[in-house]
Amino acid sequence: MPSSSQKPSSGGSSSGSAPAGARARLAAEQAQRQQRGRRLKWFGLPVVLVVLVVAALVVVKVSGIGDRTTTQPAATGAAADQVVTAVTSVPAAVLDQVGAGTGVTPPKRVDAPVLTADGKPRVLYVGAEYCPYCAAERWAVVVAMSRFGTYSGLGQTASSAQDVFPSTATLSFHGASFTSPTVAFTGVETESNEVAGGGYAPLDALSPADEQLFSTYDAPPYVESGGSIPFVDIGGTYLVSGASFSPQVLQGLTHAQVAAALSDPTSPVAKGVDGAANVITAAVCATTSQQPAAVCGSAGVQAAAKTLG
Amino acid sequence: MSGTRADRAGAAPAGRAAGPRRRAEPSLVIALLGLVVSAYLTVEHFTSPAVLACPEGATINCAKVTSSVWSSLLGIPVALLGLLFFAVMTLLVTPAAWRRRVLDPVRVVGAAAGVVMALYLVWVELFRVDALCLWCTGAHLCALALLASVLWRVADRAPVGPAPARP
Repeated sequence: MPSSSQKPSSGGSSSGSAPAGARARLAAEQAQRQQRGRRLKWFGLPVVLVVLVVAALVVVKVSGIGDRTTTQPAATGAAADQVVTAVTSVPAAVLDQVGAGTGVTPPKRVDAPVLTADGKPRVLYVGAEYCPYCAAERWAVVVAMSRFGTYSGLGQTASSAQDVFPSTATLSFHGASFTSPTVAFTGVETESNEVAGGGYAPLDALSPADEQLFSTYDAPPYVESGGSIPFVDIGGTYLVSGASFSPQVLQGLTHAQVAAALSDPTSPVAKGVDGAANVITAAVCATTSQQPAAVCGSAGVQAAAKTLG
Repeated sequence: MSGTRADRAGAAPAGRAAGPRRRAEPSLVIALLGLVVSAYLTVEHFTSPAVLACPEGATINCAKVTSSVWSSLLGIPVALLGLLFFAVMTLLVTPAAWRRRVLDPVRVVGAAAGVVMALYLVWVELFRVDALCLWCTGAHLCALALLASVLWRVADRAPVGPAPARP
């Protein structure tokens, strides 16, 4: 064992004790210097190296040098006419056959203030273009709301290429409008799918009233996971938090393929999207006094209504 | 100085085990802390309801990190890998294990591997997920602190140069 750490003999009466003590002190000092050197070499350098690497990563991130430019999803543009036509006019027979669909999570009934606009029940959708779950939910919302009114200016885009379920084909409510004699609709896309400044470029802003509503009801106990999108408030009676079905069914499909599959009741896309659309339709019908009757009384909507709480 | 006493004790026969027990504390405490944090993240990974939602905004966003496509490596949840790492390291830095110097290279390599993995995950958070998870950051800091404590301990008891000549 290291003799350097041993104390000199305590027998100080012997004639050689003083030089021996000095040598021992020198040895101890030398051992301490060696120990400091070892600590610097073994401990200091690796730790400093790690800290420097982390600091470099942060600097690169903050400076924007590392911003991704090559894996952006498709830019948002106007939705193709055939896509819009297919999504907004899914045959009633198909919707009836799909019913509540497969793997569809129904909206949650809540006791929130009645949400209206122009004397009509109002549906508020909050999402973002980068969000893959919003990408899935939008298809169902458009199919459902198209049974009550007419969209114009729908966009066509894809979710983030870097997130889970990358580049999921979808529509966009940014710049779109909706008219209906029975229900009002507000679609808000808070962020685009374009990376900017370490996040995504901001898009639409919630009105102060909607912001208040969103922060209040997109939080427990009203929803399971607070601050989540997509968020849909259906007349203050039902809330959707998160996608009603898994975006998995849309993976690898183009807009045209998704739109076409909506009319095939046996396709996984129809079972997810059309099923969710029926459930959302049933929830909207609960706020419109079951109007229009042709929609709210249809077999698919009635089947979906049984899943509502 | 306790360090010197511990040095002597670390080299002493098993009967003088009080010193090593004290010296093992920092690395053992850090490893246990990392074990708790990674256990929490693993439980969250396997028990959280599958909410099909995107967390809205916020750079500090654990759900965005732990639910991202990067949260698994070769199909294995990263949180579980962290749990296994800290479990093994905890065993390697117990007082009994510290008495076995033959394990020093294993401890150093293991702790270094943990830090390399942590650096990779920091890169993923910053440049792929665009969000930071504070629990994950806690685990990363534990990995770095564990490496530091292991290196300190190993450096402290590494063989000294030639012993000074006795009179």
